[in-house]
Amino acid sequence: MDAGQNGHQRVDATMAQAAIEYAYDQGWSDGLPLVPATRDLVDRFLAAGGRPADEVIGHLQQVDRTVTVELLAINAAMAGCRPEYFPVVLAAWRALTKERATSGGGWQSTSGPAPLVIVNGAIRTELGINHSGGVFGPGFRPNATIGRAIGLTVRNAYGIRPHELEQATQGLPGRWSIVVAENEEESPWPPLAEDLGVPGDAVTTTLLRTCEFVDNRHTSDPEQLLADFADTIGRSGAWIFQHAGAGVVLCPEHAQLLARAGYSRRDVARWLVEHSGRTTAQLQAVGKDDAGQNGVRFPGQGGDPERFQPTLADPDRVIVAVAGSRNAGISMVVRYFADWSGTPVPVIGPEAAATTHDGTIPEGALHG
Amino acid sequence: MSHTLHGILDPTGAGPAQVQAPPVADRARRPPSLAGLRVGLLDNTKHNALLFLRAVGDLLTTEHGAREVSIVETKQNFSVPVDRSIVDRYREHCDVVITGVGDCGSCSAAAVADGIAFERAGLPAAVVLTDAFDITGRAMAQVQGDADYEWVETEHPMAVLTEDEVRARARTLVSEIVGRLTMAEAA
Repeated sequence: MDAGQNGHQRVDATMAQAAIEYAYDQGWSDGLPLVPATRDLVDRFLAAGGRPADEVIGHLQQVDRTVTVELLAINAAMAGCRPEYFPVVLAAWRALTKERATSGGGWQSTSGPAPLVIVNGAIRTELGINHSGGVFGPGFRPNATIGRAIGLTVRNAYGIRPHELEQATQGLPGRWSIVVAENEEESPWPPLAEDLGVPGDAVTTTLLRTCEFVDNRHTSDPEQLLADFADTIGRSGAWIFQHAGAGVVLCPEHAQLLARAGYSRRDVARWLVEHSGRTTAQLQAVGKDDAGQNGVRFPGQGGDPERFQPTLADPDRVIVAVAGSRNAGISMVVRYFADWSGTPVPVIGPEAAATTHDGTIPEGALHG
Repeated sequence: MSHTLHGILDPTGAGPAQVQAPPVADRARRPPSLAGLRVGLLDNTKHNALLFLRAVGDLLTTEHGAREVSIVETKQNFSVPVDRSIVDRYREHCDVVITGVGDCGSCSAAAVADGIAFERAGLPAAVVLTDAFDITGRAMAQVQGDADYEWVETEHPMAVLTEDEVRARARTLVSEIVGRLTMAEAA
């Protein structure tokens, strides 16, 4: 850039275009243009993260490739993040590494699962992470780029690319952009991460198989509303093993209706575990009535056709979050690829990060 | 590449090593036949895999002179290649290994890595993958530094077959498997 006559800086557009094409030529892109990551830009990310550049924050055994803080920062810069997003990217990455599926074959899977990143705390508004209208949709830089940073890191640092080591049969739309802030302002409950023991700025993640909407605007009966969720959660198509995992991201209207009727977050989870499922006869009709404890479902001999087989196994593994606009009764069932650990990770600023042992706050400091 | 640009950082961490050293094709020495040999089976947990491997094991002992199926294990994590301790156990308990069935994204890649690991440890191995996973198998062979590694390919899908169909599939493939494990030509 150089200074123009009236003091504005002039961009050399040809150079910018060449840098974009260069990144495509290297095979670094997910299909969209990338921001060229330069030393000075990446240094600003590293300063914002407060962690040593060479700290190892991921290793994938089957390909023997490693993610360092520096590589995550380069990919976050390329994704279009601003440096001040980097603590959230770091926390999201750390949270994902705690999920069992990401250390196995999740990133390579025929399911093509997507990270779900839910952000809590004041950092939502500081960074402008969308928590209201169109929360699963486009239009907001942090929502779009924080997830993309994860995707580029998997692609580039782990070398897992579509049609090669990544084997998604169809994949899912928006795979690297499912980042939502919780609508704490209109949620009737404490923030999700706080309920799980991590107050303040924090991210909660898992790998998603897909999201499915539930549109229910005309009942005021909490059980009718919950039954509508249970029907979607219980559908057979999504069911592979003995149990399946799912949660709900409720719109404010649905969350408030349930809270007014006396439901806590935990009550919602418990109700859904109890009521989501299908009978053996229904499962037999689709060839999924039998399953070993850890095995896949397959066509069995039937058994009692009226026996109810629950989809979900454990209310502690059902995410109940609140996000979106309060303008309609439309919520989302979020269906896990595998499971969810139930462990949020705090987002910490550079000063605090620099003083911790491994970039995470010791548990006692949070609960104490 | 048509141009290079200075000052743009590499997001892969692989650097020039990514261009890769030339492939090292470490192949175990092949016996002339399976006569009197012990067969190891490594099940990768995918549906029908163990049934298929056992059917192949039966055919090798009843029709191809193998002495016995001497070790059968199931992988703890189908996405992750075998480690040293598993390879050592197989080396101690058998003379040739058959593994698979690569029938998913990560397990197919891992099965190829398993075959390469067994070969490097001196055990002739036959890896069975369905034909839907040839590209990911090849990508993993490259990652493992053995780009030309060959496996036994079978028609996709395998998980939907009935028990009888799985046995028929084993019979179809057995001569190719024998060919992969020995110096004999596949019939």
